[in-house]
Amino acid sequence: MGFLAWQLLHASAIVSPELLPGPADVFNAFVEIVHTGYRGTTLGQNILSTLGRCASGFLLACITGIPLGLWMGMSRPIAAAVDYIVQFMRPLPPLSYLILLILWFGTGNTSKIGLLYLTAFPIIVSSAMAGVRSVKTQKVQAAFTLGASHWQVFRYVVFPSALPTIFTGTRIALAAAFSTVVAAELMAATDGLGWMIVSASQFLRNDVIILGIIILGVLGLSLNRLVLALEQATVHWRGVE
Amino acid sequence: MSEALPKPQGAVPVLRRAAARILSRGEWRFTLLSVALLVAAWVAVTSSGLVRDLFLPGPALLWSGLVDLVENGYKSRPLWMHFAFSIERVLLGFGTGAVVGIVLGLAMGYYRKVDAICSPYVEFLRPLPQLAYLLLLIVWFGIGETPKIVLLFLTAFPVAAVAARDGVRNTSQLRIKAARSLGANEFQIFRYVIFPSALSDIFTGARLAIGIVYATLIAAEIIAGSTGIGWMVFDAGRYLRSDYVFVGIGLIGLTGLALDRLILAIEKRTIHWAGK
Repeated sequence: MGFLAWQLLHASAIVSPELLPGPADVFNAFVEIVHTGYRGTTLGQNILSTLGRCASGFLLACITGIPLGLWMGMSRPIAAAVDYIVQFMRPLPPLSYLILLILWFGTGNTSKIGLLYLTAFPIIVSSAMAGVRSVKTQKVQAAFTLGASHWQVFRYVVFPSALPTIFTGTRIALAAAFSTVVAAELMAATDGLGWMIVSASQFLRNDVIILGIIILGVLGLSLNRLVLALEQATVHWRGVE
Repeated sequence: MSEALPKPQGAVPVLRRAAARILSRGEWRFTLLSVALLVAAWVAVTSSGLVRDLFLPGPALLWSGLVDLVENGYKSRPLWMHFAFSIERVLLGFGTGAVVGIVLGLAMGYYRKVDAICSPYVEFLRPLPQLAYLLLLIVWFGIGETPKIVLLFLTAFPVAAVAARDGVRNTSQLRIKAARSLGANEFQIFRYVIFPSALSDIFTGARLAIGIVYATLIAAEIIAGSTGIGWMVFDAGRYLRSDYVFVGIGLIGLTGLALDRLILAIEKRTIHWAGK
């Protein structure tokens, strides 16, 4: 129905077609870009570089953030020493320190990946810590009573119980990283979907802008589904308590 | 320290025991140590000239930057004016988006048909990177205030709508049935049962929304602005005034925290029954 309204609004020419291209125009733009690319870059390239940046920042944050969060959950001194830094970073809008990262690392890929890392990292650390803290004390005590070692308690009791919370955190972090990567590409990039949209807006190619927005929406949705599927495959015990 | 305390008697020893318990847990020591180490490293690295002021300004430079900003403002506008611009945008965009989103979300939760019609749009809008449609909005509405407010509206709206819808859905069926069997009509059930129990979800959504709105605003000001604290940081960065950049980031962080606390305070006042 929304599609119909769009077509009607376009066909009735209330809004100038320059400002609101019709569905057919957007589809044509899609075909054109798939065939000839957009200003020397192919669509696949742009999608890949956006996803690549997003994935590298996000994975780096997972690799470092999950162990740190788990450690903070297990050890109160570590939590006390690190938590205030994480809690200060968490509400900070990522784009506000992009300018610092550009100053430090230049305008290349490093500053963008660093930005995404800093976006995802505090969310993941907090969720891993909260996950460990939410483990029921009885379960841990029961395992100790049954003669489990510290490592065994961590591996078989604490970690599995923390995993659902960690997954929720990674999903939020991935969504945040994805919207930040587009913002970073709008500001300083020479490829990627964000760059494609900025460049299209400078040439008043609104069909390409709308196409870019639709592709981003579909990608964002699929990323979310991907983590959700991974979560359901891994944490089959969620909610079964 | 705690082992040396005598056996407590009376009110003062109780206080002393409480203090001793906090001290003996000793977590604050680790926080203090960590802060001290961080500050010491900062001072050492900057004052020894290991890192140039351009990359990381020292404490003295940062302080003079802050004083300078407060006294003289930035680019012919006082600091509070940049603040006021940003806060005004956040409140306008968040306010309109939250009100429309909550009303629509309540309707979506209450009427299945409204949900079926609206949820495709809301679900599509929600995961979309907000900045992606900023450029479209600029082409449509020009470069003034309108595109920014509309952007923030579109950012807050789906988050608020989904939270309100879930809040209505989460209302316990038992309570609705109890109210109905006591003779409440549909409006009364909505007004006195569903709405109050949805409120806590609505507030959670509002807190989430204001955080995202604020982050989006900073990004929007950086990409297309000539006023506001986000723009100030970006512009200072272009002139390599890293003292202003650091002060600005600190201010942005504090403002974000204050906005979050504001919603939390309103929530505490409104839903005094939470958790009961």
